Amino acid sequence: MSALLSVRDLAVHLGDAPLVDGISFDLSAGEVLSIVGESGSGKSMTAKALMGLLPPKARAHGTAMFDGTNLVSQEAAPPRGTGIGLIFQEPMTALTPVLTIGLQLTEALLSHGICDAVEAKRRAKAMLDRVGIPEPDVQMRQYPHELSGGMRQRVVIAMMMLLDPRVLIADEPTTALDVTVQAQILDLLRQIVTDAQIGLILITHDMGVVAEMADTVLVMKSGRTQEYGPAAQVFAQPESVYTQTLLDAVPRIDSISERERGATDILLQAHDITKTFKKRTALFSGHDKHTALDDVSLDINRGETLALVGESGSGKTTLGRVIARLTEPDTGQVLLNGSDLMTLSGRDLQARRREVQMVFQDPYASLDPRQTIGKTIVEPLIIHENLSKQDRNNQVAGLLEKVGLDADMALRYPHEFSGGQRQRIAIARAIAANPSLVVADEPTSALDVSIQARVLDLLDTLRRSENLTLLFISHDLAVVRQIADRVAVMRSGRILELGPAASLFAEPKHPYTRALLDVAPVPDPSRKRGKRPAIIGDYPAGPLCEVAPSHWVAI
Amino acid sequence: MAAVRQTPPGFWRRLLSSPSGVIGLAIVVLLVICAAFAEMLAPFSPTKMGAGGRFLPPGDKHLLGTDEFGRDMFSRIIFGARVTLLIGAVAVGISLTLGMAVGMIAAFRRGWVEAILMRGTDVLFSFTETLIALSFVAVLGPSLQNAVIAVGVAGIPFYARTCYSAALVETSKPYFEASVAAGAGPVRLLLAHLLPNVLPTMIVVATLGVSTAILAAAGLSFLGLGAQPPTSEWGYMLAGSRDYINRAPWLMTIPGLAIALTVLGFNLLGDGLRTSLDPVERK
Amino acid sequence: MWRFLGTRIAMGALTIWITTILVTLLIHAVPGDPVQIMYAQSQGTTPEQIEEVRRSLGLDRPIPVQYAMFIERLVQGDLGNTIRGGQPVLDVILQRLPNTLLLACSAMFVAILIGVPIGFLAAYREGSLTDIALMMVVIAGISMPHFWLGLLLLFYFALELGWLPVSGNGWLNLILPAMTLGLSNAAIFARLTRSSMIDIMSQDYVQTAFAKGLPKALVLRRHVLRAGLLPVVTMMGLQFAFMMGGAIVVENIFSWNGVGRMAVEAIFQRDYPIIQGFILTFSVVVVVVAIAIDTIYAVLDPRIRRS
Repeated sequence: MSALLSVRDLAVHLGDAPLVDGISFDLSAGEVLSIVGESGSGKSMTAKALMGLLPPKARAHGTAMFDGTNLVSQEAAPPRGTGIGLIFQEPMTALTPVLTIGLQLTEALLSHGICDAVEAKRRAKAMLDRVGIPEPDVQMRQYPHELSGGMRQRVVIAMMMLLDPRVLIADEPTTALDVTVQAQILDLLRQIVTDAQIGLILITHDMGVVAEMADTVLVMKSGRTQEYGPAAQVFAQPESVYTQTLLDAVPRIDSISERERGATDILLQAHDITKTFKKRTALFSGHDKHTALDDVSLDINRGETLALVGESGSGKTTLGRVIARLTEPDTGQVLLNGSDLMTLSGRDLQARRREVQMVFQDPYASLDPRQTIGKTIVEPLIIHENLSKQDRNNQVAGLLEKVGLDADMALRYPHEFSGGQRQRIAIARAIAANPSLVVADEPTSALDVSIQARVLDLLDTLRRSENLTLLFISHDLAVVRQIADRVAVMRSGRILELGPAASLFAEPKHPYTRALLDVAPVPDPSRKRGKRPAIIGDYPAGPLCEVAPSHWVAI
Repeated sequence: MAAVRQTPPGFWRRLLSSPSGVIGLAIVVLLVICAAFAEMLAPFSPTKMGAGGRFLPPGDKHLLGTDEFGRDMFSRIIFGARVTLLIGAVAVGISLTLGMAVGMIAAFRRGWVEAILMRGTDVLFSFTETLIALSFVAVLGPSLQNAVIAVGVAGIPFYARTCYSAALVETSKPYFEASVAAGAGPVRLLLAHLLPNVLPTMIVVATLGVSTAILAAAGLSFLGLGAQPPTSEWGYMLAGSRDYINRAPWLMTIPGLAIALTVLGFNLLGDGLRTSLDPVERK
Repeated sequence: MWRFLGTRIAMGALTIWITTILVTLLIHAVPGDPVQIMYAQSQGTTPEQIEEVRRSLGLDRPIPVQYAMFIERLVQGDLGNTIRGGQPVLDVILQRLPNTLLLACSAMFVAILIGVPIGFLAAYREGSLTDIALMMVVIAGISMPHFWLGLLLLFYFALELGWLPVSGNGWLNLILPAMTLGLSNAAIFARLTRSSMIDIMSQDYVQTAFAKGLPKALVLRRHVLRAGLLPVVTMMGLQFAFMMGGAIVVENIFSWNGVGRMAVEAIFQRDYPIIQGFILTFSVVVVVVAIAIDTIYAVLDPRIRRS
């Protein structure tokens, strides 16, 4: 089959710096090509170069032949929309907030002179129906803010497909979505590729998504091609060392973990925690109550890693914050070593705070930009102990070494460090005052996979060497699989399933857990699955009931 | 306060490589020199009448001419710089300290303290600075001192709001919460974390605010509600020029130009500071 | 949307209520005896007369009672009488208020008509020489004291060229004050429009619109301009309040017979009832305009309209 799009030696330069450096590939009809890479690999720039949407100062070179014209040459305008469509990562910002869905769907049809207004409307509704949006007539009159993230991404896909492009570029189309929604959008994209026989360029950082979708894989690093070949081959026998390290770093949900411990000494008990937020709807005014936690109880055993897993809005972060007493619950108790933390206030509270520390998701905002990292790390100690300057320096040096950084970095400021290093510094601060519990809220989800693996290792090592207990909050089941002893699955403010990691992953008892496990992408193309289970809206969310030893399920 | 002392890396290089920063800084430095060494720079006393004749146009002896009382305009402008800078500094000082106190406490304490402080600020803000300043002068009576207090007080709501929103952003950042979780007390949180992190924003706001304050005070003086004779205040000088606008137009152009340049200087410096104080986070 | 407007109206009512309290307290904040000060400039006022005025202003009563009296008279539309001339304050204000509103509205018109296109053009050509030149003009405009601009315009167009009258209250007289006030605020509108447009142009949805192959003009007109003007609309309420403040100075330059000029005279004459009336009127006007602008905003932004 002759190629739809044929790219040779594509390069993008910003000033003298090459962002993309000599990329070549072919794309045929009905093919899914995945461009994979970590941040800064130039994968998004490649897409922008093909669309002619580069930032003003960037220049593209090389050839990208599509339909007899070179997309990269400056002479001809790229056939945007009608020839090549583009889907962005963030569905929340990809639609103009002040225009109706209907207008945004039809305007390009009219502007390209493809059909008249009546026909455009008819086609738009048909397309909405095709991408799985219920009640197209109603949706046409809606504004973007009235749709959920997944629905918006469907609208964007519909918007692009209406123009009947030959090639569709999707830049991280599911990264901002929950796994269950991601699965639906990926299904939709695959179906469109088959039905319309278009070529799809899927740009992603997620090896699981690649394995599920791609026919061909192009691995990029620092603007260069590391590997290019059929998906099965790339996963089974990667030629480049980089691909191999990337694959090794990816946490596997289907991996076998032998972690299991019998300790049942309870460190922390959360009883009947309820928390409602006044939700500000639609940016302004209007208070609606939103129940973040609905009568949740949870025990954490000394020395274990307990993972809280859930999609956005499940209440997992709120529960972590309540336990660290950063959020005040409406009702409920948190007992640490048997004494209630919730009744404390003022200085008593400050004194007890050292026992529960937190690591946050965003490595950039986690450190005070105006303090040296040494000061940041030693802060919990200074608050609780009188230390001489010498002691302080020794402590900082020791902590930095524990998290794998050099002791002489103490005098530097946060902006001199990479995301992964910053997260290490944040971990050093969390363990500085010898806490009994560390709450880590998505500590690796802002990091590239290769760095994620190392930070996870660090957390696990420290848990053992420092006698820590870890409450690990994550949306990523594969990460949880790798680090957790026990897992609590949350949804809409309730715990639906709680059990030892091994049995929960091997024999999930709750239908929601099963659904989550089913839709999570696995980085193994040989494990392609058939029809996915429909994600139903209502799951049993009643009281927990012990179905197997230490394995509880909501009924 | 070691943390406050520290300027972001490359601050001076960035400030001096932005055209607005350089021009602004140059104008402000020139003003400060004029104000500091007014006695040495001015050839005549700013208040001595009949130094060389009335309404002399700009020329050799009197660089910028003389006014209706024969006072040397150049000397009056030089001394006016001192008055103007003083006005700007005091007024902004009042707005900045009180505004920051209100804003930081509101963002830090939350709850009803926040509600009362910020709703009150909103109400005052909607009055606009002009009305607040005018009401103050109406109560206290026209004088330069009262005008400066009025302008300073009138600015509080704006500074409070700006500081409040900046502080709110900081208090919700993980580094701040990490300190809370570590058991840091209010003093430490406010002085070691919140203050150093809102300060860059507030320095920019205050620099731009100097121009607003100078304009407002000059406006009051222009209306006769601020500086009283024989003070060499530019707004007041401008007001006096109206009666001789045909006969001696330089009496109008020169003080006006002085105010405009001063305000421009602080505006440019503020713009320059804004870009150079931006912490170099994420790209 | 009704909830959004409801909050705004409640906020406005609160503002006016607080104003009434401040206005009552104002007279007590005066250092010394306000009545003495008020009559200091009039010759031959006897102590009896002063006592009489004190009684009629209610200043001999406790402050809460004074406030109640003030409110009672206020709901009857009585703002008291002027010290000089003894006319009803409300009449004096209502007679001049239309002039001030006319001036402020014309200035707003000038400011938007000049400022928004300049800001849009600068944003469209971001980083170009045009942008830099326009922004230099804008920052010069922001730094320009409006009282000086007024004098310059007066000097040039009225005195040198003789095209326009120096002062008075006809339509031709409106041009110079409206230009003075409008031009200084045009700079602020230009700056705001530029930053808002630049912000919008970097949004994903603008990129998406380009990715659909829409022509640049259509993207700018439909996707950028509509969303980008929303912050400008929000600013208009506040800007109108600034214009009302600026009008005080400009009215004095051009002898425009509005409430601003009246207020300054009243301050000189220590005519507190007029000052009280002026402050109250000012805040009512600002609040009403702010609510009107918020309503426009709520209708324009579907995120509020449909909530």
